[in-house]
Amino acid sequence: MRKKSLMLAALVMVLSVILAACGGSSDKSSDSSKDSGGGTLIYGRGGDSVSLDPAAVTDGESFAVTQNVFETLIRFAEKDTTLEPGLAKEWKISDDGLTYTFTLQEGVKFHDGTDFNAEAVVKNFDRWLDGDADKFPYFQSMFGGFRGEDTAVIKEVKADGDNTVVITLNQPQAPFLKNLAMSPFGIASPTAVEKEGDKFGDNPVGTGPFEFVSWKRNDSVTIKKFADYWKKGLPKVDEVVFKSIPDNSARLNALKTGEIDLATGISPSDASSVEADSNLQLIERPSLNVGYLGMTVTRKPFDDKKVRQAVNYAIDKEALISAFYEGKADVATNPMPPAVSGFNEEISAYPYDPEKAKELLKEAGYDGSKALELWAMPVPRPYMPDGQKIAEAIQKNLEDVGIKTKIVSYEWATYLEKAAKGEADMFLLGWTGDNGDADNFLYTLLDEQSIGSNNYTYFKNSETHKLLLEAQKETDEDKRNELYKKAQEIFHDEAPWVPLAYSTPLLAGKSTIKNFYPHPTGSDIFDTIEIK
Amino acid sequence: MTTQQTISEKEPREAGPWKDAWRSFKKSKVSLVGAGIVIVFVILAIFAPWIAPQGINEQNLSERLQAPSSAHWFGTDDFGRDIFSRVLYGARISLWVGFFSVIGSILIGSLLGILAGYYGKWVDTIISRFFDIMLAFPSILLAISIVAVLGPSLQNALIAIAIVNIPNFGRLIRSKVLSIKQEEYITAAKAIGMADTRILFKHILPNSMAPVIVQGTLAIATAIIEAAALGFLGLGAQAPTPEWGKMLADARVYLVNAPWTMIFPGVAIMLTVLGFNLMGDGLRDALDPKMKN
Repeated sequence: MRKKSLMLAALVMVLSVILAACGGSSDKSSDSSKDSGGGTLIYGRGGDSVSLDPAAVTDGESFAVTQNVFETLIRFAEKDTTLEPGLAKEWKISDDGLTYTFTLQEGVKFHDGTDFNAEAVVKNFDRWLDGDADKFPYFQSMFGGFRGEDTAVIKEVKADGDNTVVITLNQPQAPFLKNLAMSPFGIASPTAVEKEGDKFGDNPVGTGPFEFVSWKRNDSVTIKKFADYWKKGLPKVDEVVFKSIPDNSARLNALKTGEIDLATGISPSDASSVEADSNLQLIERPSLNVGYLGMTVTRKPFDDKKVRQAVNYAIDKEALISAFYEGKADVATNPMPPAVSGFNEEISAYPYDPEKAKELLKEAGYDGSKALELWAMPVPRPYMPDGQKIAEAIQKNLEDVGIKTKIVSYEWATYLEKAAKGEADMFLLGWTGDNGDADNFLYTLLDEQSIGSNNYTYFKNSETHKLLLEAQKETDEDKRNELYKKAQEIFHDEAPWVPLAYSTPLLAGKSTIKNFYPHPTGSDIFDTIEIK
Repeated sequence: MTTQQTISEKEPREAGPWKDAWRSFKKSKVSLVGAGIVIVFVILAIFAPWIAPQGINEQNLSERLQAPSSAHWFGTDDFGRDIFSRVLYGARISLWVGFFSVIGSILIGSLLGILAGYYGKWVDTIISRFFDIMLAFPSILLAISIVAVLGPSLQNALIAIAIVNIPNFGRLIRSKVLSIKQEEYITAAKAIGMADTRILFKHILPNSMAPVIVQGTLAIATAIIEAAALGFLGLGAQAPTPEWGKMLADARVYLVNAPWTMIFPGVAIMLTVLGFNLMGDGLRDALDPKMKN
């Protein structure tokens, strides 16, 4: 008996050694330099895309890929959100702000060989206009609605010859061009859309520098250089692989071992170890985000403004930031970051004052009998590297003023879905601006028309609603900024959020990576990046 | 050795099986060390509130990740909490989970084992196959799925660990009952018309306790590790509970910068498990020498 089991144990050990050896040899690291061309760029990120049809999604990880496959009529500059010609080489706006005339680039082809022209652009807009909020949620929130609806901004889109597109609006919209430049409004090949139908998100075809190759769910998306790309000499690399590695330290490890070339979502606490490594470089993404603690105002006790203000006083934001962002962030004061025009500098954050918080809670008659749910994000986000830790610190802050909480977490997609339904008492979340406009923060996150999509707090206020709608129509920059500044004052007083941080997201890459400029919106185009 | 022998010689020989067992247990230095470790941890756990310099959740973010010093013997974690205090309170949690999950497994396992062993036939078939099915799963996987159903919390982790260990005790008791059932005193008891329940609880159960105690001690060690594993995976104790496995998971990020956040909870797990294992080995030798294989 004994001998037999010994033999068995020995056999198991031998087998496991052999297996381990096999595993090691198949685990090849990417050696991009040996390729004769531009090589392969392997980009490690925290999560997988939801769909590769940009019009159908609102999440950053989907845009990260589609930004390279599709192009928009107008694009953002390489390093900021100033507007540059994209698929449209020039545009004219009528004096009443209602008619936009775009002249298109010539000689552009989609990846499937279809010609890019005015007709293709019109077909794209028609597709969106004939859709609904379920199909194209971002179109709904950026352009007010769909064909024929009262709130819809776009009236009609027409081709004028082969290279001119005329867009007529129902009402002027100040950030209209900025909105058009956003990733979700990349122009898709009409032939492919027709052919693929609902499956277009699995097999995207655009005009971008890279064409789609394959998508292994929850693992990787591969795109390769489009040989007939209209900008000659671009892109520099032959292939880009987007690899999902959810754990921050595992991702950094993969970078250190050479399994990936570039990693996003570097924990602030790892920054020094990246800087100390001569094979690596630390890259900062310009900040265009806000991380916050939202309070669902339709749920007790947060229907009371005093309780919401008390929570604002109770949280020690400075300490949170120095501990969990390692200084790579500033204390947030408003629901939008200072880089965005219209930011109200006169507002300062609620100071850390537990006594004042207790006082306010007392006034509000809060009894603290029931533990409130405090939701913490399960994944690292650019605006909040570690939601769980921050939740734990906030839990303690709140306990000190007599608010009992229970930390709750769900899988990321479920988290967003449930929070959007208003099921959380308090939740951690954040937002990275997609077009650098105040509208994309204040209206998108806190207007009553955004309830159900991105206004998770269910905050409703007739005054801010009026201000925000007015600002959308106001084309005079100074007047517009005034409106936004006023709205921020109301948000500060009503306190549906505790704004926590404006963070500088960190990336790390091999030192061989050149010409990479992370975009503030979080969607990078890898056309100029080189590996040397 | 010699002193021990003289003591035992002085003692009258009338002692029962328990005294015999104690005599043989204390002969082994290693098991005494094990018992010593266990006792120390039990004392620390009981008196944690008086020994610990700080509470479990006294955060001080300006003192985060400090190396061990005279102010903080085991250093501080990423919230600036005193790790020494948290490890002490962690002992409470680990011992509590270890002890009560094993008690739970023993209660249910014994009941099922006795039924299977004593009544045999289809009862035995059903219960034994049920045990086989449970044993077919890797225990931690089974525990994870149970927690997944019940929802992650310390209490549910305890329940999951208890359930996972049921078949071990069940099978042990069943085999013991099967052999005791054949003994003549049981036949005698039956012959004088003793009721089944009485036979089971008065004769069979007490006589099958020795291996259960041994197995139980060893199972506490396993249960502590399983609770730590569940805590590490985020399926056991939730923040800010200072469960050792959870502390390890939180410390993972600081492995290089602040290794003390990981070392002390890790050593605590190692020591308690070692203590219970050594003690269990000693008990086995003392109570049931036949179990040695």
